[in-house]
Amino acid sequence: MAISKKIVLIGHFGVGKTSLIRRFVENAFTEDYKVTIGVHISKKNIEIPEEETVSLIIWDLEGQDDIKNTRPSYLLGTNGFIYVFDLSRPVTFENLDSEVTYLKENFPNTPVKVVGNKMDLVNKVYLSDYNDVFKPLVDFYVSAKTGSRVELLFSKLAKELI
Amino acid sequence: MLEAYKKKYYKNNFQYILVDNSGKIIETDDAIFHIDANIQLQSIHPFFEILNNLLQIENESFDFTCINLDFEDKLFVVDITIHSHKNNENLIILENLTNHYNNYQLTAQTRNESIINSQILELKNEYLLEKETFKNNFIANFSHQLRNPITASIIFSDLLINSDLSSEQKNYLDIIQSANKDLKSRIEDILDISKIESGKLILIEKDFNLKKLLKEINDGYKILAVKKGLEFNFNIDDALPEFIKGDQYRLKQIIGNLLNNAISFTDKGFINFNISLNYIRAKKASIRIEVCDTGCGIEKQNIDSIFERFTKIESETQIDNGNGLGLAIVKYLITEMNGSINVESEINKGSNFTCNLSFKLSYESHSINKVLLKKQLPSLEKKYHILLVEDSDLIQLTILKTLAATNNFYLNIISKGEELITNIINEDVDLILLANTIQGFSAMNLAASVRSLSKEYKKTPIIVLSTRAYKDDIKLFKQSGVNDVIAKPFDDKKLLDTIYKHLNKKRK
Ligand SMILES: Nc1nc2c(ncn2[C@@H]2O[C@H](COP(=O)(O)OP(=O)(O)OP(=O)(O)O)[C@@H](O)[C@H]2O)c(=O)[nH]1
Ligand SMILES: [Mg+2]
Repeated sequence: MAISKKIVLIGHFGVGKTSLIRRFVENAFTEDYKVTIGVHISKKNIEIPEEETVSLIIWDLEGQDDIKNTRPSYLLGTNGFIYVFDLSRPVTFENLDSEVTYLKENFPNTPVKVVGNKMDLVNKVYLSDYNDVFKPLVDFYVSAKTGSRVELLFSKLAKELI
Repeated sequence: MLEAYKKKYYKNNFQYILVDNSGKIIETDDAIFHIDANIQLQSIHPFFEILNNLLQIENESFDFTCINLDFEDKLFVVDITIHSHKNNENLIILENLTNHYNNYQLTAQTRNESIINSQILELKNEYLLEKETFKNNFIANFSHQLRNPITASIIFSDLLINSDLSSEQKNYLDIIQSANKDLKSRIEDILDISKIESGKLILIEKDFNLKKLLKEINDGYKILAVKKGLEFNFNIDDALPEFIKGDQYRLKQIIGNLLNNAISFTDKGFINFNISLNYIRAKKASIRIEVCDTGCGIEKQNIDSIFERFTKIESETQIDNGNGLGLAIVKYLITEMNGSINVESEINKGSNFTCNLSFKLSYESHSINKVLLKKQLPSLEKKYHILLVEDSDLIQLTILKTLAATNNFYLNIISKGEELITNIINEDVDLILLANTIQGFSAMNLAASVRSLSKEYKKTPIIVLSTRAYKDDIKLFKQSGVNDVIAKPFDDKKLLDTIYKHLNKKRK
């Protein structure tokens, strides 16, 4: 039997958490925005070369301005976090540093991947303007829309979990 | 009785499920959905994978709110409580709250969408603002850079006209001079627009003779109209006050632009220029300015856009007579002056621009002004020494020619800032002309260092020739000890007037 690992996606609302999961699980994308309330849970098995298959149990949480407002029960037994923000909307990364610190302090042994989504909406100049904020924190720049680096994100995280 | 109703209306929203420590179903009541017994609860939905962890802990309960469970193509939103027991029998209670949470979803949807939209709008505005500022700065800087060559061109052609020329050459020079004038006024328009848009345009309120100003405007534009074969009628209301308080330069610009516009777009017929008094109230005169023409007119759908920048209504056959900024400036200035402007127009018949502006009445003694207006040339019993600090060859030459033509001055030129101090200590210097920047030096620093020398140098007039002559700039210059600022491009009259003025002051 595959080992299963719980991954939680958190971040402000509308940053593309649901879209990233849809891209990863179903390889699909839609422009429509349907607000997630509570939590949706989905599952996907991934093969890791020379290792066993990992069954990822992916928790897609309702968007939250402040990570501290997340319902604690959702985070029980989490093996890995994906913190998502929207590259095109600065409000969603205004407190990136403190949000990520909060996670790392409260879940000290749990890996956190910090992900800037909607890479398709911004350009290099824009990214370099925010270099001071992004460089020390961000692990992946992705786009749920184009699919760029989405697969890589999940498989890198999965590898770290086994 | 109550029990009977309760039975009738009771909705069972709760499903109770018993599972063993591995998650295998022992018993379920199927109140929300049907599940077969004996299968692993984990296999019906990945949420229940959490049991693998939680059921290891005995005698605990865990509450999960708002869990979306898609089950056999139906979506249930439930709250789930998990009670773990010691005896390999764990209770899981699901409460179906789908309707309740669906309502909440709708509220959240509206709220999130509107927040995101307003954020995106804000970003767009920010971006537009940045672009706007960039553009204004670009335009301002670029126009400044054009000033030096134009100044030179104007002054040299003025000098040339007094030399010995054939009539053909004189004709060519006429064309050059009028092109220079045109270029200069276009650059000034562009600068005005960028000043207005960056909030740097300041109206200067001063007493002035309204009737005299109107007459001057009339004289200037009448010539232009008549040259084009147009009739030009000027009607001035006798009731208008003679003196008012306001920015006469800007008023002149408003009227000038309207007249210029009317003349450019009219090929035959007349221009009417009427000025009348609406009323005098609360020590203020409301004035009505009317410019009518029999020109090509403006189409209805274009009327609103004629006051926008870089718009010009033009049929293909029309010749470009302006850069389209004139009316935009008029509109801005009138708005700044709290006035109003209105256009009526009929295609191929003509246009009628009307504006209303209020000015404070002036109660000053006006005879003084006349005396001041008279040009006071110094009686030059001696030649004055002028020191020019400027690194542009063009400007050096320009000033040299202008001053030499008067035969009133000795001119000494240096093009390095560091030579200034030794020069004024060792040579006779009656007045210093300073470029606003000279390779690595700013006029302000240079002026300040002159003023910090001994007392005898405190009085030497310093005049800065600057491409930057906004009010703020002038203030800064004056703070560092500069007496006056001449904006580039300047003509020889402006240069000489300013020099005479300060030499006169110094003599007193
Ligand atoms: N251009 C672009 N749009 C994206 C991308 N990812 C998501 N979106 C859009 O962003 C909006 C929000 O996406 P969701 O995936 O619903 O966002 P969420 O983080 O799940 O939002 P909540 O559930 O409210 O927390 C949708 O309209 C998506 O189409 C992306 O990579 N590029
Ligand atoms: Mg979502």
